[in-house]
Amino acid sequence: MGLEYPFMQRALLAAILMGTLCPLLGVFVVVRRMSFFGDAIAHSAFTGIALGLLLGVDPSYSAVGFAVVVALGMGYLQANSRIPSDTIIGVFFSGAAAIGILLIGLLQGYRVNLFSFLFGDILTVDAGNLMVVGALLIVVGAVITVLRRPLLQIALNRDLAAAQGVPVSLMEYTLMVLLAVTVAVSIKLVGIILVTAMLIIPAAAARNVSKTLHQMFGFALVFGVFSAVVGLFGSYALNTASGPTIVLVGIALFIASLVRLPAR
Amino acid sequence: MPALEVENLTVMLGDHTILEDVSLTVDAGEMAAIIGPNGAGKTTLLKAALGLLPSKSGVIKIFGQSIGALGSERARLGYVPQKLDLDRTIPVTVHELIKINTPRAFYKKEKVAKALAEVDAEKLLTRQIGQLSGGELQRVLIAMNLLRDPKLMFLDEPSTGIDREGERLFYDVLEHLRKNRNITVVMVSHDLSVVYRYASRVLCINRKLMCQGTPGDILSDETLERLYGHATAVYEHHDD
Repeated sequence: MGLEYPFMQRALLAAILMGTLCPLLGVFVVVRRMSFFGDAIAHSAFTGIALGLLLGVDPSYSAVGFAVVVALGMGYLQANSRIPSDTIIGVFFSGAAAIGILLIGLLQGYRVNLFSFLFGDILTVDAGNLMVVGALLIVVGAVITVLRRPLLQIALNRDLAAAQGVPVSLMEYTLMVLLAVTVAVSIKLVGIILVTAMLIIPAAAARNVSKTLHQMFGFALVFGVFSAVVGLFGSYALNTASGPTIVLVGIALFIASLVRLPAR
Repeated sequence: MPALEVENLTVMLGDHTILEDVSLTVDAGEMAAIIGPNGAGKTTLLKAALGLLPSKSGVIKIFGQSIGALGSERARLGYVPQKLDLDRTIPVTVHELIKINTPRAFYKKEKVAKALAEVDAEKLLTRQIGQLSGGELQRVLIAMNLLRDPKLMFLDEPSTGIDREGERLFYDVLEHLRKNRNITVVMVSHDLSVVYRYASRVLCINRKLMCQGTPGDILSDETLERLYGHATAVYEHHDD
């Protein structure tokens, strides 16, 4: 299974961390129907990477920074305008992609480097990457443990939550920032194109087989870790790219979960 | 002391004046119905009273105190929104919905069962929200509010999308709670027959307060035509 190699050991740890981190937030993304939001964030992180390479800043930092700025921008417009959410996300999505593509044109020598961000490579994670993902998992886990109830209240009904004094805007910005940082950090592992899949697919499959919200969290974490780990070993055995293999295992789980989906 | 006092309330949304100089009073123990045509500002009035929308001017008092001064008591205001904007495929059970939306200080599992029994919904505890009928969901939301022992409840078109039988059960439960728990109810309603049957006070809104009084006084052809701009009649539902 290749576990004798240090790179494979690091990749396995990264898969477990990411398989836990993404679905934890993914449950909120699925319940709140924010899937498209994750894509917009991923594309803005891509622009952040290009910007970082252009300006000589560590692209990991610029990706996180740009993703957070875009997330807050979308959140502000959603809260303070009458423009529908999907329109706001569509505009930011296109805007971020356009800037990113424009910047690529200025980055002739870096294209190979940039493609590694587009598709990710979990086999190349180093100890530093693991520390970052691990620290992020601790932060996200702590925030969700503390704020789980108000975040779910808002997910179920904003007005009901606000009527009980829940600071709705603050909670929504908190969730958006956590999502932006998680997406930007996870890009290194599965790439920009597939990072949203790790957020959505385990949670979506969990929804299909769960009877309670509590179960949905549990199944999402199990499915997330399972698809990341099985996908990683599968890619090693089949000599395929790890990111798409991980996502395809998740898709297989989702298809299997449809069998259990009760008729409504 | 009145349960709800609104004095010279004006609410604007952007450049549009939604409510203009509205003043009204609802006494404790009443069931007040807010009626008016679509876009008249009924829901806006409810949300402003709950502190969910800022007002341009005016004063809103709940049992003599402004919303800001209510502090932790604000959590005891009952509220049933027009519709629970929830993806019905999300596996949330009735128990989870109630637990998530009830402040820890008010939550006890045995109280949940008791509150559900009060609204004739004790069998729904473990059911998923997506499997409930409109009437069942509304009764669950009422039970959820009961855990906080509210003295004032706001309901926004609570019987929208509920069948006749479910609607009658819902309002009977509400009337029972009003009498037995002395809860003041302020509800937006489009169903004049319900208003006629259950409300003790009617507030007519069309940007401004057009009229207020008992159903017998208000629900006349002349007043309704003035409010809705066309002939409107109250049809009482008759049981077959």
